Amino acid sequence: MKLRSFIGFVSPSVALMLALLALPLAMTVWLSTRNCALELELVTVQQTGPFGAHAVTTQRARVDAAGKAVQRCTSVGAAYYRDVLGLQPAGASGASGASGTPTAAANDDNEFFAALRFTLLYIAGTTPFVLVGGLALALAMNRVTQRLKGLFIAASLLPFIITPVVGALAIKWLFRDNGLVPHLLGHFGIQVFWMAQAWSAQLLVVLYGIWHVLPFAFIVFYAGLQGVPQDALEAATLDGASAWQKLRYVTLPHLAPLVVFVTLIHLMDAYRVFEPVVVLTQGAFTTSVQYLTYHVLLQEDNPYKASAAAVLTIAGIAVLLIPLLRKTWREQR
Amino acid sequence: MKNKLVGATLLYTGLALWLLLATLPVVWTVVISLRSYGDAFAAPLKWLAPLTLDNYRGLWIEREFYRNAANTAVVTLATVTISLSVGCLAGYALARYRGSLGFWLLITALVFRALPHSTLLPSFYAMFDALGIRNTTFTLVFVLVAINQPFTIWMLRSFFAGTPQELDEAAMVDGCTRLQAFRRVIIPVMWPGVVTTGLFSFLLAYNDFMLSSALTNAESDALLMQGVAGAVSITIPLIVLVAIFQKQLVSGLTQGAVKG
Repeated sequence: MKLRSFIGFVSPSVALMLALLALPLAMTVWLSTRNCALELELVTVQQTGPFGAHAVTTQRARVDAAGKAVQRCTSVGAAYYRDVLGLQPAGASGASGASGTPTAAANDDNEFFAALRFTLLYIAGTTPFVLVGGLALALAMNRVTQRLKGLFIAASLLPFIITPVVGALAIKWLFRDNGLVPHLLGHFGIQVFWMAQAWSAQLLVVLYGIWHVLPFAFIVFYAGLQGVPQDALEAATLDGASAWQKLRYVTLPHLAPLVVFVTLIHLMDAYRVFEPVVVLTQGAFTTSVQYLTYHVLLQEDNPYKASAAAVLTIAGIAVLLIPLLRKTWREQR
Repeated sequence: MKNKLVGATLLYTGLALWLLLATLPVVWTVVISLRSYGDAFAAPLKWLAPLTLDNYRGLWIEREFYRNAANTAVVTLATVTISLSVGCLAGYALARYRGSLGFWLLITALVFRALPHSTLLPSFYAMFDALGIRNTTFTLVFVLVAINQPFTIWMLRSFFAGTPQELDEAAMVDGCTRLQAFRRVIIPVMWPGVVTTGLFSFLLAYNDFMLSSALTNAESDALLMQGVAGAVSITIPLIVLVAIFQKQLVSGLTQGAVKG
């Protein structure tokens, strides 16, 4: 295909990605160094009360000819980065105004690092179980009689295709006080208020993550198993290899590229864990990095600080993925 | 012989346990959605309770959930259609073009695939507020399409790479332009791949909570029991989908893995 027609064919897709992915990304970087605030002016108004009239000096937002409030935007450099990272020195100048001054956050436990810590914990807590569980399920499913396979596979996929918010809600209702799981655990004398403390809420998010992603690993490994060379397995059997040896020396090496693939995809998806954090903890005990940006933007209503958090989030995923992307790059070349 | 029996018992017990874990949250949600609040979260737990459709009636009729449902249908349908039209063109070109530009485009798409969506939100707010188009279906559809493009073009490229190049060459020898060859010859044999990719575009659009909730000011959560009924209502189309398209779903999930 000629370069000219190539460009013609890809241009709608590229235009969309430029306008709605690349441009906003660049803009986020720019916004993270800015701050806008309403411009205020002093006015003297005549107040008439039951005890006579008197003049009062007060502030109000300056409005332009069109009746819109005037915003004053300034460059604040890295002030919001320092704020998000908790490095804000006292009395920093620059940003000011009504819509959220970057104040010296006196938090000992900085919000960004807390979010990053949980995000990494979530990745570390889900990945091994997803890989091992997915593999075990694939090996088991491979031995199920043909008649039951379709039904079993369909049922196994349910946690993966369900809307994440709904899946997290279903888990929440299961673990709620007076819910099914606390009731069953009660028979063994175990009483946990799952959503009332940090460790159990975090455990629930991790459990949700495993439940949600394991079917994906399973189905990829299951497809891989169909391609394991049968003659190699037969030769190994003739040579007296045990079932474990066949798994270890024939099947697993064949699946190795798929393990890398599943890990790569899961890493990307786990890094942006969001829905279970919203649903299961409402950000009370856990925040993920993606939740942090969302929270700063919508609850604190500060798009500039949210942008700084977003840029730091991207820096984090870049650090995680660069080794893996390098590998993909070399292979594609 | 005995060993085999033990093995089979172990196998099916383990699988049954997994299937229970996989489906229990959904099954239990369905059960409590058919109960009154008092029965759903009674202490001690009730295994059996009178069934009622009140939650569903409250949700679909009183709270007019059909409006949300219709809106969701419009958004997902439009997203899938536009994603596929734009994505097929790009995926086809990426499968046929041999220059390095295609390679770079794919790498860039992979980087965008890794991008957490929340990082785009501050700019989306700034952009769409300035243009006055934030709370519109139109905006949401195009954002979802763009977000899904990286994944869509990767997947479609690998499907197109599987169709023989001789097909379009033959068509072009017969006097088709490149675009005609694509439309009249390649797309008709590509249907399975298009359906599979469409399925995944559907799931991505249907399931994306953050963008939908942030870009449209949906009202806050319904009353709890209506929320449970809503959860079930949202899940039913997905279950129907898996039942119908299981083969495509499995082939789609493994496509990228097997072909790289």
